[in-house]
Amino acid sequence: MTPIAAGIVGSFLLLLLLFLGMPIAFVMMFVGFLGISYLASVHAALPVVANTVYETAAYYPYTIIPLFILMGAFAGGAGITAKLYGSFDKWFRKLPGGLGIATIAASAFFAALSGSSVAAAAAMGTIAIPEMRRFKYDPALAVGVVAAGGTLSFLIPPSLGFVVYGMLTEQSIGKLLVSGILPGLVLSLSFIAVIVVKVKLNPVLAPVTPGHVSWKEKIRALGGVWETMLVFFIVMGGIYLGFVNPTEAGAIGATALFVIVISKLKLTWRGLSTALVEATRISVLVLFLVAGANVFSYFLALSTIPASVSAWMASLQISPYAVLSLIVLIYVMLGCFLDAISMMVLTMPVIFPVVKTLGFDPIWFGVVCVMMMEAGLITPPVGLNVYTLAGVVKDVPMATIFRGSMPFLCAMIGVVILITIFPGIALYLPSMMGR
Amino acid sequence: MGWGEVKQGIRRVNFIVCAIGMAMVIPLMLLTFADVMLRGFFNKPIPGTFELSQYILAIFILLGAAYTQQVRGHVGVDFVTSRLSPRLRVYCEILTTLLSLFIIAIVIWQGWVEGITEKAVSDQLRIPQYPFRVLVAVGGFLLWLELLIDLFGAFGKLRRNEP
Repeated sequence: MTPIAAGIVGSFLLLLLLFLGMPIAFVMMFVGFLGISYLASVHAALPVVANTVYETAAYYPYTIIPLFILMGAFAGGAGITAKLYGSFDKWFRKLPGGLGIATIAASAFFAALSGSSVAAAAAMGTIAIPEMRRFKYDPALAVGVVAAGGTLSFLIPPSLGFVVYGMLTEQSIGKLLVSGILPGLVLSLSFIAVIVVKVKLNPVLAPVTPGHVSWKEKIRALGGVWETMLVFFIVMGGIYLGFVNPTEAGAIGATALFVIVISKLKLTWRGLSTALVEATRISVLVLFLVAGANVFSYFLALSTIPASVSAWMASLQISPYAVLSLIVLIYVMLGCFLDAISMMVLTMPVIFPVVKTLGFDPIWFGVVCVMMMEAGLITPPVGLNVYTLAGVVKDVPMATIFRGSMPFLCAMIGVVILITIFPGIALYLPSMMGR
Repeated sequence: MGWGEVKQGIRRVNFIVCAIGMAMVIPLMLLTFADVMLRGFFNKPIPGTFELSQYILAIFILLGAAYTQQVRGHVGVDFVTSRLSPRLRVYCEILTTLLSLFIIAIVIWQGWVEGITEKAVSDQLRIPQYPFRVLVAVGGFLLWLELLIDLFGAFGKLRRNEP
């Protein structure tokens, strides 16, 4: 077999075992090991897996993962979600679909403290959905808003999505995180636009919430927002100005939120151990996936597939934007079946060299990728946010949640197109960063 | 002592081991925080923060691997297998678990061989690297036991379905 043929056989074996249900990290290690044994030698292949596992598990920049997860868990434990929701409700009550807008705004702000999206969807689900249903909102709209709002955690830093992308492509995690700020804002606004347009077209979907809010109350409600803003500005400001590296910023953010939880006397053993178990589970999952991906990439590099595919793509003389559209389409489809992080880990070894050859900016492509990861969280049949929500609101069928999320999925695609036309939305802030 | 008790024992050990690793995340957080503060305000960073962080991360991840398998944390794809007949699904589970056991066995073996011969020490505090490298074998072994429980569980399902 030529190396390329071996690479193709290996990739098919990977897909087969994947569909048989083998954990993705172990599949990549296993196939990578077989491939390296074949293309190099068994002797060379034997130590690769164990060494990769150690090097991944003891790599300083990855300490950011548990820290980001702790940030989200402490923020949830401190009751910040409910406070944000209460504040924004006061501000947006009179707008069409006001509670929905408040949900998106609160999700966006919570996203500024949390790196993982499922926690956000679950936390917001228990607060916002009962409220929206109490005021007779259409169930599909209510759950759709929460599912979509939860995905914002992936784009608005701190974000696990950018960390994983940065790990796989060796791009600066700090720049990636900063690049997510403006697109995150644009996406939140486009979600709000979706709600406003839907409710304007069909006011029955969201009856106006009764009750007048005075300006005094509105000003006082801002008190629920300042902690979030403060922590966000310290964390992202520190990274932006180059005072701290992203890991240190994560530690500062987590410590600050830890202090907030303690000062509110809301730290319980149970809460702390749940937070730590969550941090462990996600960190181990991510780092084993990355270790698997590194083993598999080594095999693919030996097979010369990434280089050949890139060369072939470049020789095709078709517009890079046609290839990009194809990649986005592939991600939308993969997102239907794979969870966000596995999708990145499985595709990046081949897709990233292609994207670089086509001349796209790696940081900009990171934003596109993270948005595609977000889309995967709400597409049927296995959108993770939808599953989480289905667990929280037991009386709304899963199909309704998917139907409710569809308009927001379209908004995501719209924003991807927008940042393709105006890459500055993603690249302006990182280009100004201090070093 | 029956298999049930052994199984419970293994799971319990894996949880405790994971809890040990887990408990080190808070010190990791505070250490990094303190390092930044002391560096920023007094220009006196804590020596070795970088390498201590790396070692703590290694303990945390490697000791958590088995427990993560216990709670089905290592994700897989189930939209094909969930459509198969229960019997076929168990066959898939047995095959994939055997392959996982194989690759993790190699990780344990090589983790031990590579770990025990490691001579490197950390840059500032001169802490030897080998105990942490050996954790690859230790964590791998606990993960292997967890997979073994899954394998026996799958065989059990197969036996119970027999007419």
